[in-house]
Amino acid sequence: MASHADFKDRQFLAVIGDEDSVTGLLLAGIGHVTTGADAQKNFLVVDNKTDNAAIESAFESFTEERKDIGIVLINQHVADRIRHRIDSYTAAFPTVLEIPSKDHPYDPEKDSVLRRVRRLFGE
Amino acid sequence: MEQQHIDELLERYLGLLNEYTVLRQSLSQVQSGVYQNIARANFSGERGMRYGQDHYDERMQAARRLTISVDDKLQPTFAVIDVPAEEPEEEKAKASGETEKQGDEEDSEKPARKKNKKNKNPLHWFGLFAPMPLRTAQTQSVQAVEEVIPRLVSINAEMLNLEIEVRRARKRRAKAEAVAEKKGEARGVTDTQPQKAPVEAS
Repeated sequence: MASHADFKDRQFLAVIGDEDSVTGLLLAGIGHVTTGADAQKNFLVVDNKTDNAAIESAFESFTEERKDIGIVLINQHVADRIRHRIDSYTAAFPTVLEIPSKDHPYDPEKDSVLRRVRRLFGE
Repeated sequence: MEQQHIDELLERYLGLLNEYTVLRQSLSQVQSGVYQNIARANFSGERGMRYGQDHYDERMQAARRLTISVDDKLQPTFAVIDVPAEEPEEEKAKASGETEKQGDEEDSEKPARKKNKKNKNPLHWFGLFAPMPLRTAQTQSVQAVEEVIPRLVSINAEMLNLEIEVRRARKRRAKAEAVAEKKGEARGVTDTQPQKAPVEAS
């Protein structure tokens, strides 16, 4: 499933979320901008004007293109906007974790783990 | 025997589920604390100062990084560690043999080392004297990043592995049952037919 080399270099957490969520997590010191010509950020601030394509492309970049990210944190309400992408994502690394935001408390109904639990016992 | 194995797996699974739920609650609590404190800082900010993306340092370097270890059962464990200021540079030095680009950068980085160290705390993006609520938000966020989040994703991975094991065990049990049924059918076809009828009716 996961090769040895695949997880070793994954040393960053990435965030996709509203401004306060990103600010809060960056305060903890997880923010990183790569050095070099194409400075890549490991976060995306999403607001009402951000279109879904931008969210999707950030998600794709963090999960598929970049090999240095181990956990992708995404606000649950932002994840809802690209739900099909989130639900069809099955790779072991990076792992995706949905987190609550200021205006949207965590909804267990949408929790991927709890949905898996239901599937396991409902079979 | 297979049933007992499945029960054991499910017992472990439910234990993890319980821990997951507790951690989820504590993440929600910690995060809402962070949001409240950022809101407080924004409310009391001078001249409408907003503690947000306009002040992020575009050259930020991660001070907290992830380490992932995988055991022989391919079970990953996540941890977030505080990286001392020197370490990233050491890493770069190690990697310099691999890419020429990084080797070139190294020379120019040495004089900047002291400066880097100073700027490491993201609080300083918002000025030298960050308000108290923002400091509290930082403490809470560090707790989420160091304690809650790595544990949550580790448990998630462990649960995923257990789900696979449970499904495999269930398949084996179904196979064993099918074999037993076939044996039963071979013994007496006439006996099984009247037994089936009431099941279908119900």
